[in-house]
Amino acid sequence: MPFTKLIKTPAYFSRYQTPYRRRREGKTDYYARKRLITQHKAKYNSPKYRLVVRFTNKDIVAQIVSSQVTGDIVLAAAYAHELPRYGIKHGLTNWSAAYAVGLLVARRTLQKLGLDETYEGVVEADGEFSLTEAVEDGPRPFKAYLDVGLHRTTTGARIFGVLKGASDGGIYIPHNEKRYPGYDIESKELDADTLSKYILGGHVAEYMETLADDDEEKYRQVFKGYIEDNIEADAIADIYTDAHAAIREDPSPQPTEKKSKEEYAAESKKYRQTKLTMEERLAKRAAKIASLVGTGAAAEEEEEEEEDEE
Amino acid sequence: MGHSHGYRSGTRYAFSRDFKKHGVIPLTTYLKTYKVGDIVDIKANGAVQKGMPHKFYHGKTGIVYNVTKSSVGVIIYKVVGNRYLEKRINVRIEHIKHSKCREEFVKRVKENAARKQEAKEKGEKVFLKRQPALPRDAHVVATEGNAPVTLAPLAYETYI
Repeated sequence: MPFTKLIKTPAYFSRYQTPYRRRREGKTDYYARKRLITQHKAKYNSPKYRLVVRFTNKDIVAQIVSSQVTGDIVLAAAYAHELPRYGIKHGLTNWSAAYAVGLLVARRTLQKLGLDETYEGVVEADGEFSLTEAVEDGPRPFKAYLDVGLHRTTTGARIFGVLKGASDGGIYIPHNEKRYPGYDIESKELDADTLSKYILGGHVAEYMETLADDDEEKYRQVFKGYIEDNIEADAIADIYTDAHAAIREDPSPQPTEKKSKEEYAAESKKYRQTKLTMEERLAKRAAKIASLVGTGAAAEEEEEEEEDEE
Repeated sequence: MGHSHGYRSGTRYAFSRDFKKHGVIPLTTYLKTYKVGDIVDIKANGAVQKGMPHKFYHGKTGIVYNVTKSSVGVIIYKVVGNRYLEKRINVRIEHIKHSKCREEFVKRVKENAARKQEAKEKGEKVFLKRQPALPRDAHVVATEGNAPVTLAPLAYETYI
């Protein structure tokens, strides 16, 4: 064995400075967080809002959050699992779903703040790059900064789907077109057609058609949900346009039904570990001894018999 | 070779971070707000080199007279010769914290106002001034298990 030196001595542990809990969990980038939260000191207590976008394996979370000393406060939130309410039942983590979630969270906050009439945003999703502009003699647009967390900001990423949805929803989020799908690095131009294709699920529809022509089995496996609901490739764009309209119509959140305190208590009591009484423990011990003695006696008898036979 | 007088000379320990508290600064430092007239303590944070106060002001307390994007202006009184000079320094947020000397006073003012209100309603007389610790009252000390011990000096004995 090669020569190894013991590193984790007691001295090592007593000198070790643990990183912050959220850094240990690998969930928060404090370098970015410090810059997102800090407010201009001459703006005193006015809150600084950020659009937090996080992707899980099956869901998208978009929240408008402001930070206080006691903790962060969420002004409004939208999840991809709410999209079935508006007609989007499949592909809840794709680019188009991300756009819908961004749109939903934007309309929700504006409705909450009473700004939804003043700032309609882009009603027909056309894929052009535009920032929400201030209305003359009226309140300025609601401003939020995009918080991607630890996500890699590559061109065409779904986080920018949420960004586009929220921006088209009427929130002012300073950004530029460099990371949208359809942006060409060489010519430094955004192709509005590609972007609008992504917003309306065109990329999914194309793949659906290609698979249906080339590989039937894979098509049936990948698009099982769509086939079951009889959704054709050309119907996908309509699903998304209808959903956008439905979202603009009624973005208000519907709180889910929660069980009562008693029901929750009853649920958790099922998993509670009850301790055995002294009598039960002694009984268990006696039973175990008896079974061991029994097998020991049987083994002894067997050995005696074998010896006798031999 | 003499003793050098660089800007940060002699600050090896004063500006160093505490044991096992290096690295990221807790974000509440950035969330606090400072208004003109607040009393603040200056404590230099070695992790942030911009907007650091000079070592003289480390540990001093002053009043905020200006607030900018990421700094505050603080008025400190410095003894130079036989007089105080008013000094105005610009310090970043990371090196400042609210002074608790003010906290006790403000709390007491609120409490007194409440007690005065209460007493006025009841029609009682209220004593609001703070009293220093008064001499102890007359009391009996029991000798049960507490016998008095007589102390006397011991004669000196030489030990070699």
